[in-house]
Amino acid sequence: MSSSTIATGARMAPVAQRRTLGVSRAELRWLMWPPLLFFVVALGLPMVALVMQSLEGGGAAYPGMFSVPAFLGSLGRTLLMALVTMVLTSILGAVYGLALVASPAWLRIVLLAALMLSLWTSVMVRSFGWMLMELPKGAIYWFLGLFGLADEPLEIYQTTFGMYPAMIAVMLPFAVLPIMSALQSIDQEQLKAASVFGAGPLLTFRTVTWPQMLPSIISGAVLVFVMALGFYVTPLLLGGPSNMTISGVINSQLKTANRPDLGAAMSILLVGATILIYLIADRLFRVSEKWG
Amino acid sequence: MSTTVGRSLGPYRLPVIVIAILASLLLIVPFLILVATSWTSGSFILFPPEGFSLRWYGEVLGDRRWMGAFWLSVWESALATLIATILGVAGAIGLTRVRSRAAGRWIRTLFIVPIALPPIAYAVGLYGVNLELGFLRGTLVTLVIGHALVALPYVFVIVSGGIARIDPALRPAAWTLGARWPLILWKIELPALLPYVLSGALFAFIVVFDEVVLAVFLLPPGTQTLPLKMLSAASEAFSPELTAASTLVSLLAIVVLALVPLLTRRRGRRTVPRRRARPVPAVTEGVPE
Repeated sequence: MSSSTIATGARMAPVAQRRTLGVSRAELRWLMWPPLLFFVVALGLPMVALVMQSLEGGGAAYPGMFSVPAFLGSLGRTLLMALVTMVLTSILGAVYGLALVASPAWLRIVLLAALMLSLWTSVMVRSFGWMLMELPKGAIYWFLGLFGLADEPLEIYQTTFGMYPAMIAVMLPFAVLPIMSALQSIDQEQLKAASVFGAGPLLTFRTVTWPQMLPSIISGAVLVFVMALGFYVTPLLLGGPSNMTISGVINSQLKTANRPDLGAAMSILLVGATILIYLIADRLFRVSEKWG
Repeated sequence: MSTTVGRSLGPYRLPVIVIAILASLLLIVPFLILVATSWTSGSFILFPPEGFSLRWYGEVLGDRRWMGAFWLSVWESALATLIATILGVAGAIGLTRVRSRAAGRWIRTLFIVPIALPPIAYAVGLYGVNLELGFLRGTLVTLVIGHALVALPYVFVIVSGGIARIDPALRPAAWTLGARWPLILWKIELPALLPYVLSGALFAFIVVFDEVVLAVFLLPPGTQTLPLKMLSAASEAFSPELTAASTLVSLLAIVVLALVPLLTRRRGRRTVPRRRARPVPAVTEGVPE
C-alpha cells in the first residue's frame, strides 16, 4: 500500500467514515479522469469547432440567421411543438405510471411490455409505423372503413396534427419510467394510514400520492422538453416540409443552402438553449439525481 | 405491494387503467402494423397486406447493400459501446469517491447531459472537427467518439443504480484487510456490478445502433449504416423491403435485450440487497433484475 493511501486514509477516517475510508488519490485519478478527459474531447472540441465555424463570416452569421426566412418560423414551431409534446406526454405518462402500479399483475406486465417494446425499438422504426397508420389509405383509414366511417382518403399524414401522436409515443417511456419508480417506492403505510383515518381517494391522492409523484413528473417533463427541442427524425417523417423544426433548418443550411456558418450559429443557439434549460431545471428540481 | 396505490385510487382506478391501456395501444399498434405490412406477397405497402409471404425478408437478407450497412452498424456500434462502457463504469464508480458534494452533483449532471444534447447541433460540431483536423476526414473516428458520448449516459445511469445496491460494508472490510483499490475494484465491485454493466452496455448498443443523425453528417461518402440506409430508403419509396428490414432490426433488439435477464439472473441474486429497497433506477426497470 502506498504511503499516500495511508496518509489520506488516516486523515480522512475521523471526518467521514463511510465511503471515503481508504480512498486514494490514485483511485480518483484512474477512475474519474479518463471520462472527464473524454468529455473535454468529445463534447468540448465539437463546441469549439461550432464556434469557429459560426465566426467564419466575421460574426455576420449571428444577425444573419434571423434573416433566413424559414428560421424564425421554425424556432417558434419547435418551441411550441416541444411544449405541447411535454405537456401531453407528462399527463399521459402520469396516468400510465399510476396504472402501472394500480393494475392487476397480468395487466401490469402487458403495460410494462408495451413500454419496453417501445423503448427498445428504433425511433425511426416507430415513426415508420406511424406513417403506415396515417397514410391517406393507411391503417387508420382501413380501420375507419370497417365501420363505414371513411369514404375518402385521410389527410392527416404530414400535418401538424398527425405529428403529435407519434412524438408522444416516442417520448412516453422517458416520462413514465421515473414516475413508475417514484410510485413503487411510496410508503405503503402512509396510504393505509390515510384510509384508516377516513380520507377518500381524492384526498389521499392529493396529499400522499401526488406530492411523491410530482418531482418525477417534473424531471420527466424537463427531459421530454429538451429532447423534443432537438427532435429531427420523427417531425421530418411525419410533419412534412411545412412543419420543419430548427433541426431541419440547420440541416438545410448545411446540405442545400451551403451556409455552414449559419448552420453553426443556429446549432450554437440550439445547444445553448437546451443545455441552459437543462442546467436550470437540474439545479431547481435535481433532474439528474432522479436518474439512477 | 403496489395494489395499495391502486386501492387508494378507489373508483378512479378504472378510468386510469382504461386510459393507460389506450396509451399502450399507441405504443404497440404502429409496430404491429409495420410488422404486418412486411408480410405482404405484393410489391407495395398495403394494409391489410395482400396474402402472406416472407419474400421481403429474403430480399433484405440476400441484398449485399442491406447486409453491408448492417455489419458496418454492428461493428461501429460495438466500438462506440465499448468506449462508452469503460468510461461510464469508471465514471459511475469514480463518482462515489468524490468527496465534495457540489463537485459530485456537477459531475453527475455532466454525465447525463448528453441525453439532452440536440443530435443535429452536436453532429454539425463533430463535422466541424472533421474539417479542422483533416486527417480524420474519411474515417469513422468522429462518428465512433460521438456515438460513445451519446451512449455514455445510459451506461452511467444503469451502473450508478447498481452501485447503490452493493453492500457498503464490503469495501472498508477489504480495505482494512489490506487490499488496495485495484484489487477491491476487480474482486468486489466489478463482479457485483457485472449484471448492471452488461445491461448498460446492451442498452447503449441499442441506442447507438439506432442513431441516425450523427451518421448523416459523419459517415464518409459511399458508406451507410443501417439506420441511414433505412432513412434514405424511406425518402425514395416506402416499400415492403423497408418494413421487413425494420422488423428484423426490432426483433434483433428485442432478442438481444431479452437475453439480459437470462444472462444475469444467477449473478443478480447474489448482490446484497439494501435494507429498504432503493427506488429502481428508471431506465433499468425490467432490464437487469
